[in-house]
Amino acid sequence: MEILLIMCVGIAVGAKLFPAKGKAANEKVQIVCTMLLIFSMGISLGRRENLLEQLSQIGLTSFALAVGPIIGSVIAVYFLTQWLMKPTKRRKR
Amino acid sequence: MVLMALAALIGGVLLGLYGPAGTILDQLVIHSDWILYLLMFSVGISVGLHRGILQKIKEYHIKIFIIPFGVIVGSVVGGWITSLFLPIPTIQGVAVASGMGWYSLTGVVLAEMYGASMGSVAFLSNLMREILSFFCIPWIARNLNYYTCIAPAGATSEDTTLSMMVRYTDEETVVMSVFNGIICSAVVPILIGFC
Repeated sequence: MEILLIMCVGIAVGAKLFPAKGKAANEKVQIVCTMLLIFSMGISLGRRENLLEQLSQIGLTSFALAVGPIIGSVIAVYFLTQWLMKPTKRRKR
Repeated sequence: MVLMALAALIGGVLLGLYGPAGTILDQLVIHSDWILYLLMFSVGISVGLHRGILQKIKEYHIKIFIIPFGVIVGSVVGGWITSLFLPIPTIQGVAVASGMGWYSLTGVVLAEMYGASMGSVAFLSNLMREILSFFCIPWIARNLNYYTCIAPAGATSEDTTLSMMVRYTDEETVVMSVFNGIICSAVVPILIGFC
């Protein structure tokens, strides 16, 4: 829940205090944070003692159970949003 | 961005496997919450800088629940169909899929419910969902629509994969993404409880 609170503070700062010309710098902060988070996730994965062993034993079942729900969600959300909302489709940058 | 994310992940895993313990690397992992907080603050600023966005979200009213509904139903049905083809009980497959990318919680809870092996499947599978999301999101943004970018991310759409939404969709979708993550995260323990 605290992340929601922090984001709300960010929204208030962005709307009232933050200079518009700082937008690009702000986006750079986001990229650096994301990469650090992914890097940190990688480290904690690598620190798990039996990671490689686990991967070889149950990798395929795990992969199938990742792909199936992804496809199911994408199909459901795509058709629901096309039908009930007005979605945007365009290329950014 | 995707290549950079992949390099960060692989670099992290290699350093985690072979790097020395008790160094700055472990400090980074221990304090990663603070990086997430900084990211959320920065994302908040992006949303705040975009005038009129909150007004637009208010206009959606009840429709804001459409995306989480689709993610939850799609995940459960997708997991159910997939498990019909796997050598595991269907209900366990549905339980794994119900994690919607929240690998830490799902891994621990399913290890408790069905044993260490299923716990490992749950952990790996949900971690793969998160990683695969990073690679799906740019393609979905180009070929389907922005809202659908939230679908693969599931419960992670409020934190780790949020940065991909920031990069590849618009501010409105980012707010929807945070909302979806909160709803999905609240639903994960309930769904697993039914399995």
